[in-house]
Amino acid sequence: MTATRPIAARRGPVTIEALTVAHGMVLAVRAISISARGGEVLTLLGPSGCGKTTTLRAIAGLEEPQEGRITIDGRTVFDAAGGINLPPERRGLSMIFQSYAIWPHMTVFENVAFGLRARGIRRSDLSSVARQSLDLVGLAALADRPATRLSGGQQQRVALARSIAGNPGVILLDEPLSNLDAQLRLAMRTEFRELQRNLGLTAIYVTHDQEEALVLSDCVAVMRDGVIEQAGTAAGIHDRPATRFVAEFVGVRNILPCDAAEESGRTVARLPGGALLACSGPAPDGPACVCFRPINVRLATQPGPGAFPATLTAANYLGDLVQYHLHAGELTIWARGLPRSDLAEGAAVFWSVPPEACFLVAA
Amino acid sequence: MARFPRPETLVGILVSLIVCALTLPPLAAVITSGAGAGFAPFREPGVVFNTLLFGFGTTIAAVIAGGGLALALAPGVPGRALLEGLVVMPLYLTPLLTAMGWNWLASPHSGLVNLLLHAASGNSLTINAVTPMGTIGVAALATAPLPFLLISDALRGIDASLTEAARVHGATPRMVLHGIVLPLLAPAGLASAVLVFVQAIGLFSVPAVLGMPEGFNVATTEIYQLLESYPPRFADATAWGILLLALAAALTFAQSALLRRRSFATITGKAFRVPRHLPSLPRLRAGFGWLYVALATVLPLLALLWAASMAFITANPKLMRLSGEHFAYVLFGYPKTWLAAGNSALLGALSATFVVLLGFGVSWVVLRTRQAGRSLLDQLSMMPLSMPAMVFALGLLWVYVRLPLPIYGTLGILLIAYVTHYLPFGVRATSAALRQLHPELEEAARVSGASWLRSMRRITLPLVQPTVFSAWALLFIMAMQEVSASILLYTSHSIVLSVAVFDLWENGNPSDVAALGFVQLAVSFVIAGLVLRARQRRALA
Repeated sequence: MTATRPIAARRGPVTIEALTVAHGMVLAVRAISISARGGEVLTLLGPSGCGKTTTLRAIAGLEEPQEGRITIDGRTVFDAAGGINLPPERRGLSMIFQSYAIWPHMTVFENVAFGLRARGIRRSDLSSVARQSLDLVGLAALADRPATRLSGGQQQRVALARSIAGNPGVILLDEPLSNLDAQLRLAMRTEFRELQRNLGLTAIYVTHDQEEALVLSDCVAVMRDGVIEQAGTAAGIHDRPATRFVAEFVGVRNILPCDAAEESGRTVARLPGGALLACSGPAPDGPACVCFRPINVRLATQPGPGAFPATLTAANYLGDLVQYHLHAGELTIWARGLPRSDLAEGAAVFWSVPPEACFLVAA
Repeated sequence: MARFPRPETLVGILVSLIVCALTLPPLAAVITSGAGAGFAPFREPGVVFNTLLFGFGTTIAAVIAGGGLALALAPGVPGRALLEGLVVMPLYLTPLLTAMGWNWLASPHSGLVNLLLHAASGNSLTINAVTPMGTIGVAALATAPLPFLLISDALRGIDASLTEAARVHGATPRMVLHGIVLPLLAPAGLASAVLVFVQAIGLFSVPAVLGMPEGFNVATTEIYQLLESYPPRFADATAWGILLLALAAALTFAQSALLRRRSFATITGKAFRVPRHLPSLPRLRAGFGWLYVALATVLPLLALLWAASMAFITANPKLMRLSGEHFAYVLFGYPKTWLAAGNSALLGALSATFVVLLGFGVSWVVLRTRQAGRSLLDQLSMMPLSMPAMVFALGLLWVYVRLPLPIYGTLGILLIAYVTHYLPFGVRATSAALRQLHPELEEAARVSGASWLRSMRRITLPLVQPTVFSAWALLFIMAMQEVSASILLYTSHSIVLSVAVFDLWENGNPSDVAALGFVQLAVSFVIAGLVLRARQRRALA
């Protein structure tokens, strides 16, 4: 994976403006705008049916949007107002499909060479370019194997080799790792990120796996019902979800309805039962929920400042960590931490959350 | 930049136009012209009754036989693969030959079976195929493969876990069969019943051979006789066509109304396993399969061979004599043989090619594009299934006799009839192949820089090619044996083999008919076989 590339890839940005895609009467994507900077990974993250794959396919030219504009590397490939709609083969990008879409009637080599031929590469260069990209994914030895005789991981690599062989500026990935087993998924994730950085590719990555999104991306856009709920850096999305939906989606387990108020310059959330949590960030207008991750809940057996009593009703062993289940009146709180001998089920505990780990979203 | 229509859009439009041009004018012609003609069927209530009796009788018998075969040939039967192949053979044999075969087997005086029975029982036992019951029975034998195919498909779709769940929750095998398996098969059973009914009421050859001689007339034989009379009574014939069309439409409508109330999501999964919920009895089930193969294929063909190789057909065993003279006559003496064989082969090849191409176009547009009106295109291309070939031929006559196009009286009008009649088959076969191909295979080619044409040529077509070739061969065989439409559309220059066979049947020596029937079978199977061989050789190279 360390080989360098002789031809520097174009690091083209991709810009989407007010894109709307309808499937019959249903609006799959509603006027979204987002862009991927050159050489960076933009991830579209969301549950199934949120419009992320439709957006990706619209960029590829496989779906025809109703409204909006798509620019790739400064070139407009789709513009509803201007009547521009380039077919997929003229958009100068490549794509890795969820099914890999390895052509079963060709060998590994032919799969890679197909796109090169279609793009009119010189016959004399064809073999060396194709072999070079097979080399990059570590499949040079399998070049002449029929595509039907490959494992899932190998098919994934062929798809990768095929997509980088044409030296595209932009590569689109539609849940490329979802059909692999857990271990392979981790390995391929790292490998892809490395390759993308080395080649300087602009990538747009679609996934429903928040961990994958956070690891891979320079920028994450969380989608829901055809709109982008929040876009930002991976850390920004992880630490400060802007809406309740994003918070739930990125694994913030504790989302509790509260009364939010400004007290002496600080935002404070008052929970039912009287617990008061100092929060960072502003309070939303209207009803609010206070959010914090289980890992940020501190548990003690003795009372302390800013700590509230609760009963530990369950401690579930997760391997490295233990998940604790607390009840305080009508509140249920999830906590997570290292195994501790002093926290047995049924024990009275005191919980607290540091202000920097607490934030508020609209209920 | 102006938006130029993409090639895939153009293909969509072209395919839609062709399908509309093929299906709509004849349909409109039958409806408009027949409606003005007064309603001839009212004057012949007996024929209407016969048509209904024949249609429903054939349907009930064929669905019971085909459904029974589907259940019988579920896994666990000895020789299953061979039986499955043999059971569908009647699809590729014209019912005309089956009917003639049964005529030689079981006509009351000279039938082979009756010769044996009379010898054994002293003339007290007779099996007579030339009766309404015989007509229905032979038609059912000829159409039973349709319900067999549809119901065994549905059977394959029943996940083993569905029946296993019933067993685990206390159901006996019998309860599983009645409570789970049969209800799940009901939609396929119903669909095949409608299909058989439409085929049966449009079937000409069987009633013509086994019914007409004893006065058992149905709508198709009535249409034939009205057009054969002088002057031809077109309007009355079309009125009968409308009756057939209305019957077919009513049943198709009833089917969709019934299925709307009880629709099942497609169930797929692990294969249906018989021993768990049916009494196993593999020998008995295999025996049922072989019995069907014998009655529907082997016996009629043997009778045909017998008739073709006897000097003359006689009730007296002492006068029977083997002879090659009938083959010699149809090959060298009968003036129509070679003209008809050439026409048939040409028509078979052209129509199989066009059906496959057009069918592929339709399935591609329906499955792979978002073109407006594509579900309408799908339904329109399936419409010939619910339109008897003879009625369609009537409509074609009305359209092309009036149009100033020089098509009537040529092979062209037969080609149009064949292509339209077999279009549903082409669409089904190619869409099954396309469904197997993940759309992302084509999309990957496009994104890799291939134009639409290139992705079709290099990715899609090579991948569907095996299916397309076998569909071509089957279509060729079927088109070679078409009778119902050809009998109305041929002229002396455009005669085809199946019409020549029927012509000889009406006016010639029965042994010559049998010999010509064999020639027809031989030509169709040999050519189809050669094409498949050639493809295999190319695939190996």
